[in-house]
Amino acid sequence: MFLLDKILPFIFGYIRPFIKWFLHVFTRLSELQRICYGAKAGASRTRQVERSLQLSKHPDIKCLLLELDQAAPYADDAELLYFAQRATHVIGKVKKIKPNVHPDFGRIFGNCITAIYGYKRLMHTAEQLRAEKYDAENPEHEQKLLQLWRLLMPEEPLTARITKQWQDIGFQGDDPKTDFRGMGMLGLENLLYFARVYNDAAKHVLLHSKHPTLGYTFAIVGINLTSMAFKFLKTGAVKTHFYNQAATYKQHYSTLEDFHKLYCYLFFEFDRFWMESDPRDIMDFREIYQAFEISKLEALHKDSTLFVTNLVVESV
Amino acid sequence: MGLLSLLRKLRPNPDKEARILLLGLDNAGKTTILKQLASEDITTVTPTAGFNIKSVAADGFKLNVWDIGGQWKIRPYWKNYFANTDVLIYVIDCTDRTRLSEAGSELFEMLLDNRLKQVPLLVFANKQDLPEAMSASEVAEAMGLVRLEERSWEIKACTAVDGTGLKEGMDWVCKNMKK
Repeated sequence: MFLLDKILPFIFGYIRPFIKWFLHVFTRLSELQRICYGAKAGASRTRQVERSLQLSKHPDIKCLLLELDQAAPYADDAELLYFAQRATHVIGKVKKIKPNVHPDFGRIFGNCITAIYGYKRLMHTAEQLRAEKYDAENPEHEQKLLQLWRLLMPEEPLTARITKQWQDIGFQGDDPKTDFRGMGMLGLENLLYFARVYNDAAKHVLLHSKHPTLGYTFAIVGINLTSMAFKFLKTGAVKTHFYNQAATYKQHYSTLEDFHKLYCYLFFEFDRFWMESDPRDIMDFREIYQAFEISKLEALHKDSTLFVTNLVVESV
Repeated sequence: MGLLSLLRKLRPNPDKEARILLLGLDNAGKTTILKQLASEDITTVTPTAGFNIKSVAADGFKLNVWDIGGQWKIRPYWKNYFANTDVLIYVIDCTDRTRLSEAGSELFEMLLDNRLKQVPLLVFANKQDLPEAMSASEVAEAMGLVRLEERSWEIKACTAVDGTGLKEGMDWVCKNMKK
């Protein structure tokens, strides 16, 4: 184990420059160019570009990455799109890539940069929301909570702010304010997006959750799925999906809305997975949740994975 | 180093596995305590649907801590986990004055069960960092813990989010483990 963990990366670190030099001489292309021209667009290419940049020992590239890493969390859309230009310029200079000789490189490489830093910005945005605790004194938070109820239970108004009715949509007690815990406002925003944008799908899932024997607690399970989506985002596992999405739909970078959509996809799929697992009761939740998580991680391990987030409910 | 690793040193007989049950109302702080014991990140806890379990094995010593969800719908399942319990830990949210009597009645009802007879009980009076928290002695009095005559029991003040008091509680657990 020691050999694999410690020595191999060490040796690789020394051999890598020689391999790169060798390939450079024979192909007359830098590593980044070989990736941009050779690798399939989407997760495969973007991940390789990201890795190549991270491994670079050139001071100008290191400096560029530091600069972009620091700016990414607070960049607005226009600034984020400018990252690509800035990076292409620096790389062009360091690797002596002339735009007139390699007209496609800037565009292809730039798209990767935008996707990479869009993801970093999304990580920051989601973390901000997660760290914002649900606060019952905050009228904005309260409004969102009440809106969630209206979207899921339009026929049945709440009789009071604190009421056992909250359990009908799967909160634990008579006041949901303590149920968001470590997921904070990200948990509520996720649920709200699901109920608003995919109202039919959300109601369909809510109905399943009320099944007398196969039922589960909708909102609590939803908050646990926020935790799963957030973990996928933080560990980088879901880069596969977001990088492929950026390349497939030519949308440059992923936003909070894309994260919400990912969440809706996970909720919709979990519901199906749960029903198919034929659980005895809610005490089987942990096992089924973990099996579901593993199945999604396995999917994300394949470079081609793109989750389809237009949820369709077959009406009967 | 986790709190559980401290237990290793304290426990005289390292061959045995111990089963510890962590119960209490929802939002009492059970999962946060569990994660603190295992030295895991506590910032991203979520409400427990079902249960969580963590075990730490070291020097042939294995402590299995079962953290069962506290919400009203899950409480009927608590009894399914009673068998072979070595120590029961009951967690109280000391800021939740309105539900203290509910917490008390759930505890006393549970203690009537034969499988929990003679099982030592540790009550964690949690959330001591918050200004409105009741003290451990106030909680003990309000719940009437003195009624527990034939059982070894203890109440310890703690703050799960920063780990204060957990070590003292777990020390007690080790010393009073059911023989």
